[in-house]
Amino acid sequence: MNEHVLHALNEWKASQKQDDTIPTPIDTSMSRRGFLKTMSIASGGLALGFTIPACSTTETKKQASAEVKFNPSGFIHLSENGDLLLYCGRCEMGQGISTALPSAVADEMEADWQRVTVKQADGNKELYGPQNTGGSASIRKMYQPMREAGAAAKEMLIIAGAKVFKTDVENCYAENHFVINKLNNQKLGFGELASLAANSPVPEKPTLKTKDQFKYIGKALDRHDQGLVVEGKRTYGVDTKLPGMKYAAISHCPVLGGTLKSVDKDAVLQMQGVIDVVEITPIKHPFSSLGGVAVVADNSWIAQRALAQLKIEWDLGPNKVYNTKEYKAQLVKNVEKPAELVTERGDVAKAFSNSAAKVSATYTGGHLCHAPMEPNASVVWVQNDSCEVWASTQSPEDIQTVLAQYLGREAKDITVHVMMAGGAFGRKFKCDYVHEAAVISKQINAPVQLIWSREEDMRTGYYHSINAQHIEASLDEQGNITGWLHRAAFPSIVSLFQQGLDRAPANALGQIDNHPFAFNNFRSETGYAPAHTRIGWYRAVYAIFYGFAFGTFADELAYKAGKDPVTFLNDVYDNSTPIKNKRKHAEQVQRSKAVLALAAKHSGIGKELPKGEGIGIAVHYSFNSYVAMAVHVKVDGDNIKVLNVDCAIDCGQVLNTDGATAQMEGAVVMGMSLSLYTEISFKDGAVVNSNFHDYPVMRTSDMPNVRVHIVDSDEKPTGLGEPGVAPFAPALSNAIFAASGTRYRDLPIKPLTV
Amino acid sequence: MAKTININGVEHPIDVDENMPLLWFLRDRLEFIGTKFGCGSGLCGACTVHVDGQATRSCIIPISALAGKSITTIEGLSADGDHPLQKAWLEHNVPQCGYCQAGQIMNAASFLATNDKPTDEDIDNAMQGNICRCGTYQRIKKAIKSVAYDLAKEV
Repeated sequence: MNEHVLHALNEWKASQKQDDTIPTPIDTSMSRRGFLKTMSIASGGLALGFTIPACSTTETKKQASAEVKFNPSGFIHLSENGDLLLYCGRCEMGQGISTALPSAVADEMEADWQRVTVKQADGNKELYGPQNTGGSASIRKMYQPMREAGAAAKEMLIIAGAKVFKTDVENCYAENHFVINKLNNQKLGFGELASLAANSPVPEKPTLKTKDQFKYIGKALDRHDQGLVVEGKRTYGVDTKLPGMKYAAISHCPVLGGTLKSVDKDAVLQMQGVIDVVEITPIKHPFSSLGGVAVVADNSWIAQRALAQLKIEWDLGPNKVYNTKEYKAQLVKNVEKPAELVTERGDVAKAFSNSAAKVSATYTGGHLCHAPMEPNASVVWVQNDSCEVWASTQSPEDIQTVLAQYLGREAKDITVHVMMAGGAFGRKFKCDYVHEAAVISKQINAPVQLIWSREEDMRTGYYHSINAQHIEASLDEQGNITGWLHRAAFPSIVSLFQQGLDRAPANALGQIDNHPFAFNNFRSETGYAPAHTRIGWYRAVYAIFYGFAFGTFADELAYKAGKDPVTFLNDVYDNSTPIKNKRKHAEQVQRSKAVLALAAKHSGIGKELPKGEGIGIAVHYSFNSYVAMAVHVKVDGDNIKVLNVDCAIDCGQVLNTDGATAQMEGAVVMGMSLSLYTEISFKDGAVVNSNFHDYPVMRTSDMPNVRVHIVDSDEKPTGLGEPGVAPFAPALSNAIFAASGTRYRDLPIKPLTV
Repeated sequence: MAKTININGVEHPIDVDENMPLLWFLRDRLEFIGTKFGCGSGLCGACTVHVDGQATRSCIIPISALAGKSITTIEGLSADGDHPLQKAWLEHNVPQCGYCQAGQIMNAASFLATNDKPTDEDIDNAMQGNICRCGTYQRIKKAIKSVAYDLAKEV
């Protein structure tokens, strides 16, 4: 240790003996400065260790207990050698949050990003705040607390530096991992100051940087872990290995609500390498196992092979009547006649009767399954006095809740190691696969790795809603919209939590009621649509079909009004009148128009194109972010080739421009899969699709040239994981119409018959 | 004496059921976890390794077919992660979740070894069997092209 630092530290210790008080700031509430915990100080100066209870990987423990000196919050761990370990509390599944959030900490802290190691935090909401990762909410919720944590740490380091320099704090500043004395340019490294800084109180209101001072926020930053990825060293939920671990494969009842009638285990139990056959019954929780039978073996291969030979009979239950072809046709009928009123403003009937023109259309879409490249997988070890989980997950808290319920223990006694997810897209919010591994581990009294086959992943998931919407609108002589009737029918996610729900509840139609178009004469209705399978969040959720209906219908209206789509959309925004909050509506209009203009400009929409080509455009506001997409297609008979996509985004202050760009590229690919190809079909209650041959997600030859244009904004940052998905399908449908005159209103456009 | 298989330069005895696909021998027997399970049916390419240099789906090839063969996995593609493709993947910031990328890189490496001046169509044809759900195709293509361009310059 630097002798001056040592001296300052000794002085501080001596002062503590005299008045025997240790500074203990009190505020640890989430709302204000949130995560600035002071446990390190309370636990005593130099001896402070690594006290996060849930971090028990050996590597972390070793590194932490040996070196970490400065630990002003759960997120920040500074070692004496200057190494800075930052934890990401939100779950990483490829969206880049574990680079974006720690970079905000490092920026405010004036830390050198090259000295930073990022680790995924275990499940611990007390320490890391809300960790259930969905709704594109991570940046919206955590940007401010992360900056404050970094800024507070910086101020503590500066105070420590000033003590050593024996000068006023005002004479010192921090820059790139050093504290510097302005008067004489003396420098001390962050690492050297770590122990001393640990003795300062955590500042109540640290000063945050201004935008012009940002070093990492708003720049293109490499993902912190991509070096590990390309060497095959990044470990995912499926990669956990423990001594004595056994391997399991599972088969579920193919129909929701079905039960096990019989299973003949004898032959399988005789197979070499098979350890046990475990029956899993559901518990009362929406994220419980569906119920199934698992084979446990010495390795995954034996488990899979034995499972295939197991004779299982199911009672399929009442949902065996579910056939999606008929169900979708029924949804269409249900929205093409009056349904249950949700919201009414003005007088739609009068607007319709006084109109110059009226347009109506019905839009539909099928179920989708997430199909992340890493199927559901987890390792669980249930012991008498502990339960430890390693899982790719979007919600460690729900794992704790479900396993606590199953085991009859406290949630805090369930340790969840959040593993990098090999894709998730909403699927890994639901921890049925973890519940199952826990049941198996408990029965065989050993750690168990359960991996779902691709077929189980596809056939017994939580699906994006099959859906139908019917819209009717009236236009005046100038082509302005005067009335809007919007009916939707789809089994909603609420059906998971509320048995017997026969239609989407009012709040599931919020995106219709609060659309920035904000019609004065407006009526929304929800049609009959009971759920026959588990419905779940899928990347962009309802915005997928709302974006499709609004974006395509707007295009249809533009043609009816005789305006080009961009002019028409601008007119709709300009003529919209705020329903409740004037200021918010004005902001929505301004930002929607800005992304529209940006996408339009770069795409060249309106220019002459070769025969068979067309550009379509759509804007959608979802998850507090604004995205416009212009899609350029070439249509030749049934052959639809997407050439270019211009994507304009306004998500407020962007954290990582490269990450934002990647999210939009990914949204285009996912949007293209669901627009053109993918649909989950049910027959007699069970999913017909089984693997990537009959659930044909997009492959590389279809990849268009995607250009992403980011609005430079000072608004509060909002998320980008989902908002890019919604505008793709309508922009594509509009482009195909522009190119060929054919209007597609049912997704996917080119379904595979299975 | 037991039959052996050479993996990344090291001989390993084949001491499992001979029908076991190479993927599970790698992942569960040897605990080489860089090679990923994606579909189990040779449809997604996440499990791609090289068998005597040829890109092969390890989830469907039984270990019995591989006695005496040389296997290269992502862990053995280069000594220090410095294969031109690995470097290009970093240069172009390809990975999102990264789960499929070992398979993508192994497939591309085998392909480029036989075609160092690929057209866009060649790349599409060669990479068509490797799925990425995060949607990194655009960057994968750019990364492959940049390596092909560098190779062409060397000639």
